[in-house]
Amino acid sequence: MSLNRNIAPEFHLVDRLYFPKYETRETKNGFKIYSLKAGVQPVVRLDFIFDAGLTHQVKNAEAAFTASMLSEGTAKRNALSLAESLDFFGSYFQTRCNADDAVASLYCLNKHFDNCLPLFLEALIESIFPAKELDIQKKNSLQKLSVNEKKNSYLCRKNFYQNLLGEKHPYAAFSSKEDIGAIDKNSLEDFHKTHYLEGLKYLMLSGCYSAQTLNNIEESMAELPFSKPKENKLIIPDPSSKIGKHFIEKTDSVQSAIRIGKISILRNHEDFRKLQFLNLIFGGYFGSRLMKNIREDKGLTYGIYSVIEPFKEASVWYIDSDMNSKNRENGLTEIYKELNRICTEPIPQEEIDTARNYYLGSFLRSLDGPFSLADRLKTMIDNNLPDSYYPDFVKILNDIEAKDLQNLANKYFDMENIVEMVVGKK
Amino acid sequence: MIQYQKFTLENGLTVIHHFDDATQICALNLLYRVGSRNEDPNKTGFAHLFEHLMFGGSKHVKEFDTELQDAGGESNAFTSNDITNYYVTLPANNIETGFWLDSDRMLSLDFNQKSLDVQKNVVIEEFKERYLNQPYGDIWLKILPLAYQKHPYNWATIGKEIGHIEAADLEQVKEFFFNFYAPNNAVLVVAGNVSLEETKRLVDKWFAPIEKRNTIIVPLANEPKQTEARKEHVYNDVPLDLIVKAYHMGGRLDSDYYACDLLSDILGSGKSARFFNRLVKEKRLFSELDTYISGDADPGLFLIEGKLMKGIDFETAEAAILEEIEFLKNNLISQNELSKVINKTETNICFGDMNVLNRAMKLAFAEFLGDIELVNTEIDHYLAVNPETLQEVAKNMLIEENCSTLYYHAKS
Repeated sequence: MSLNRNIAPEFHLVDRLYFPKYETRETKNGFKIYSLKAGVQPVVRLDFIFDAGLTHQVKNAEAAFTASMLSEGTAKRNALSLAESLDFFGSYFQTRCNADDAVASLYCLNKHFDNCLPLFLEALIESIFPAKELDIQKKNSLQKLSVNEKKNSYLCRKNFYQNLLGEKHPYAAFSSKEDIGAIDKNSLEDFHKTHYLEGLKYLMLSGCYSAQTLNNIEESMAELPFSKPKENKLIIPDPSSKIGKHFIEKTDSVQSAIRIGKISILRNHEDFRKLQFLNLIFGGYFGSRLMKNIREDKGLTYGIYSVIEPFKEASVWYIDSDMNSKNRENGLTEIYKELNRICTEPIPQEEIDTARNYYLGSFLRSLDGPFSLADRLKTMIDNNLPDSYYPDFVKILNDIEAKDLQNLANKYFDMENIVEMVVGKK
Repeated sequence: MIQYQKFTLENGLTVIHHFDDATQICALNLLYRVGSRNEDPNKTGFAHLFEHLMFGGSKHVKEFDTELQDAGGESNAFTSNDITNYYVTLPANNIETGFWLDSDRMLSLDFNQKSLDVQKNVVIEEFKERYLNQPYGDIWLKILPLAYQKHPYNWATIGKEIGHIEAADLEQVKEFFFNFYAPNNAVLVVAGNVSLEETKRLVDKWFAPIEKRNTIIVPLANEPKQTEARKEHVYNDVPLDLIVKAYHMGGRLDSDYYACDLLSDILGSGKSARFFNRLVKEKRLFSELDTYISGDADPGLFLIEGKLMKGIDFETAEAAILEEIEFLKNNLISQNELSKVINKTETNICFGDMNVLNRAMKLAFAEFLGDIELVNTEIDHYLAVNPETLQEVAKNMLIEENCSTLYYHAKS
């Protein structure tokens, strides 16, 4: 029988998603350790999650500097000796300052974990923020900032958030030269004490670890001088948008950076998962309307996408692209046309089916590997979501209809309150 | 240990199967033995432009991506100097869709003018976004022609200039396709939760009927040994001065490859590296100073790249780099320092093997190089390096006559 290449092979729909089992235990001093065992490579990642993000800082740049200075020396070891020891065991010590928290992570091979753990804990607890190291980091940051300020994409991002949320909003905090200059040892020591030592939320272990590793962490924790965050309510200003079009002229650039968006809904809103799906259709994957029309049909850009950023206290939805300045007006017109179309016309069923099948497949992909699973688990913990949060997507996406999506579009993608930021040549 | 089975079809297609039932997905990685090094020097950037066209419709499939997304799949590709690599991941029980799509575009593209016109624009925008509209984005466009005079690594994968991309036409597309996109010029890896039997059945069904083609690979010019230091000055609207030093080293299978990789770690990788501690922190000459290797199949480059602190001149900065290099040549590296970078490498290898798509790409690339066992023996090659080898390699390679230096001046 000859092969008919015109007919697609049969395929199966993803009808069930499993989120793997994870364990929760509590240390003697009351901290939860979440652990998720997966994968076959002998690797582990241990995360400490602290109340030490942008929303917790009083001065710009202090949260980011405290996080990055944790590896720069303790009472017992200077920066070089700490780095040499961690590197010798082939491990990585990473700190990330996010909008709503800060995460310190240790990555290493199982066989080196027992050697690395004491070094990692020492850095988290006994960091002394040496003045000399701080001075080096400040000067290097200023150099980096001067390069960023030459990038249209950086200027566009910064001004977009500031116009959308207000300059004083913590999610719009971008460190200026002055902010970096004003950082000093004392403020970092204070921030470390208040938001790290007295701000540990929980721990998470992932990878192919042994039972002994988990016990080891639990035992080590019992002795350590961490305490939980105080129940102080954060004072976060309400977003105040400068609605409308904003433009920064950069005469020498060949491309314009574009970001268009508005305030959206929080992750715990009942519409959130459906809105994520609508966003996927609009600009969230290669088969999205923005990609198909503006890149694949018209060739106006190398990339265009839309995304929802669900921070804890406010959500932001935006469309982002870089375009040749001479294509820009054409591109902007097409973006607004697509916005109008998704609000006024029901999405064809075929398009919904393709997006749904792709989305459920992408869950399976993201379940390949312990660290991406751990990231999903963190989202569940931080937002108090049930274990069924991801598996429930199957039912939500199977039940959703064109008219639901159109209603959502009218609610969340309408033109009201939109902020447009463009940086480029006039 | 990565287990695999390898076999070859009558049409010359090399197939590698790697089974992993810990995952619910399957990856299909198709590597074509063609990269920018196989381009005509007057038609550069073509291999990469062609990669874009592979998503624009094939003989029996109008929309590659939509068909794939319908089955829950995702796809992407990249082009390097040496290869063009396509990959698809799907829920394991839908892997046949991947076979259908990838075999159809190996059989024949639909060669449509509109797709070519659109993708030319997209690639031109990519050229601008990545290489022209970024501070220092054109470093690679400057350093390669300085370092290579004969070998086609002379130009970057994106191409020498936008004009070459603009000039591409359908005839050229067809010729390129039928020469290079042949089963006998490709390596297919099937990795994930799909059995060997099923893989054989699907390969026989979808790929075996494609005819072998008469692929002609023009031998590449060898790069003559560099005998004189090369220097170039560039002035641009950037905030900081930047220096790049590029030394010729061996190819991916040459004996010095592993030593060069470890040397680059000793000098420039991580917070305990020599450059960072002595030149960034102690002497305050640079705000960033990195060392890396290009990792090409043919003899490649060992690169040092750094941004100078404001107020430091090139002379002082470069002298300090050379002083470190002299120190490396005159003093044996301790076993401890060597173990450190080897341990780090071991971690990186293990982390790289964590997901099934990475393992698929690694298998394909090792087979392309001609030594598939590299996927398991790489670490042994690193472990075999000793301080004496490192010193020897540093003495031979890290000399000015073997180096191209780019001085990228901040125009103020």
